[in-house]
Amino acid sequence: MAQETYFHHSLKINDYLCTGCSSCIRACPTAALRIRDGKVILSDNKCVDCGECMRTCPSRAIYVKQDDFQLMDNYKYRVALVPVTFIAQFENRYKTKEIYSCLRELGFTHIYEVEHGTKFLAKLYRKYMAEHPEIRTFISPYCPAVIRLIQVRFPSLVDNIIPLKSPLDVAARVILHELMTEGARRESIGIFYVTPCAAKIASVKSPVSGQDTCIAGVINMDFLYNKVKLLLKNASKDAVPVNHSLTGKDILWPVTGGESALFSESSFAVDGLSNVIEFLENLEDENIDVPGLVEMRICDQSCMGGPLTVNNRFVARNRLEKRAMLVDRVLRIRKEKPTLEYPEFTEDLAKQLVIPAIKPRSMMKLSDDFSTAFRMAEEMKRLEKALPGINCSACGAPTCAAFAEDVVRGEADIDGCVFADIRNNPPDALRKVWGERLDNSNTTTK
Amino acid sequence: MHYSFDIERGNFTDAGHASASVKRTLKQLNVEPASIKRIVVALYEAEINAVAHAYGGKIDVEIDPEKIVMIVADEGPGIPNVDLAMTEGWSTASPKVREMGFGAGMGLPNIKKNTDELKIDTKIGVGTTLTMTVYLNA
Ligand SMILES: Nc1ncnc2c1ncn2[C@@H]1O[C@H](COP(=O)(O)OP(=O)(O)OP(=O)(O)O)[C@@H](O)[C@H]1O
Ligand code: SF4
Ligand code: SF4
Ligand SMILES: [Mg+2]
Repeated sequence: MAQETYFHHSLKINDYLCTGCSSCIRACPTAALRIRDGKVILSDNKCVDCGECMRTCPSRAIYVKQDDFQLMDNYKYRVALVPVTFIAQFENRYKTKEIYSCLRELGFTHIYEVEHGTKFLAKLYRKYMAEHPEIRTFISPYCPAVIRLIQVRFPSLVDNIIPLKSPLDVAARVILHELMTEGARRESIGIFYVTPCAAKIASVKSPVSGQDTCIAGVINMDFLYNKVKLLLKNASKDAVPVNHSLTGKDILWPVTGGESALFSESSFAVDGLSNVIEFLENLEDENIDVPGLVEMRICDQSCMGGPLTVNNRFVARNRLEKRAMLVDRVLRIRKEKPTLEYPEFTEDLAKQLVIPAIKPRSMMKLSDDFSTAFRMAEEMKRLEKALPGINCSACGAPTCAAFAEDVVRGEADIDGCVFADIRNNPPDALRKVWGERLDNSNTTTK
Repeated sequence: MHYSFDIERGNFTDAGHASASVKRTLKQLNVEPASIKRIVVALYEAEINAVAHAYGGKIDVEIDPEKIVMIVADEGPGIPNVDLAMTEGWSTASPKVREMGFGAGMGLPNIKKNTDELKIDTKIGVGTTLTMTVYLNA
């Protein structure tokens, strides 16, 4: 299986905690997990970092590896790049400034909120959409798990993705620009992104574009939450300087519908893994017609439901909605208009935000050679008919179909099916459960 | 490789089931996305016609290394004038069918456009059989 690895994964399995219960392998949308030697293993090129396995694991054996927090000590300018999702993890009684003062106490010298770059990005989306009238449905590139899902499972839709980077990339570049204009040396600036999910980490460590993301390290949101929570009781109530203020619209970007609201009235949002898959199937079959932008997020309630978040996702959403309302009211009263203008820099920035190509990485094809693939598909179909079809996972695969595929790919042995031997003469107790399903001659054609 | 599916009269919601399963195999064969799209669109339109204009029927799909042949056979009223039916915008769809969003008279022309070969056998009062062929990796 010497295969080129396309994707970095921060998702790891703790062998000590994994009981091999196989809950996760059935939850995975790309059939990337198998049981081997009683533990779960992950296929790097199939995994899209959706985090579904992590959510499903009853033993908490799947975790997200983060960079060493001490990495920060290597830099003079220690920048916390914080998505508003982080603030949404805390109860309302803790003010934003108190949370940020705790970050200062933890050693960060600068605090930037990720979303101040969204307006700029939305402008670039619009430009791209106007320049591509031949594309009818545009898919937002914001959720990295969605991009990867499309690459491996819906390769025909890669051209529908707007090839632009994310607010995180805008923010990181603006920060570098600002600090360096103030005289800081590049090597002395360390930008640390606080992530709600494994997908964002993967997109920082192995970006679709293959280009530098300017991020020195990634910190898991739940980890930082715990650190801040300890300090909050005695947090200073003084205002903490935060670079660039946000508008209500910026704040709502990571919430479901916040991004699509900035586009034409036929644009809308789809969130949650199964909703996203169903929608992509429909889009691929062209039995829906969507003239506009579709915001698509793997997590239910978008980033509020990210696998590394702690707060209830609906409560979190509500906190941001309230903050957005308040901020807009203040801006209205003060007649302020926060803008992000870097005249001498914007054109260059816009160029840096383009992803050259989002390539299809189909993990469904059985072989690059058509006649080989054909033979394998035939064999698979024959095997599928011969297997009981009850998806028991005793073979270590999520479904009988996935097991059949493993067998034709030479990654599993047909004897791994516990029913291979007993189907002609199953014990009575099993026959009671499965009736004629176990009868080899009774396999139905579908 | 052979696949067969039943088509149930008036069941618009289940239509598309056949193409989903064919699509999976085509993806495994690494057939180029553009061809998959054509196949899925043609099969879906033919299936919808059997649901909307006839009393249900049967789909038979045969994939071999050169081509995919999809046969959609229904029991139904048949098509009195095939040339007319093939005209863009011509439709006899009932108001009920139109309410479901079908009936633009674009189905058959769309099938023609998306297949390499199309054969229509139809008999008044008996039924209609569409034989659609798309060459793979041509
Ligand atoms: N299987 C069939 N049995 C009987 N009549 C049919 C059948 N298929 C098509 N027709 C006739 O041919 C006409 C044109 O078919 P076509 O698929 O092009 O358009 P439509 O089904 O009316 O609308 P649309 O496909 O755009 O929803 C139909 O209105 C119907 O009169
Ligand atoms: S993160 Fe998602 S795609 Fe990756 S192994 Fe887990 S469930 Fe599968
Ligand atoms: S919805 Fe947000 S938190 Fe969830 S995977 Fe996508 S980017 Fe990450
Ligand atoms: Mg039709």
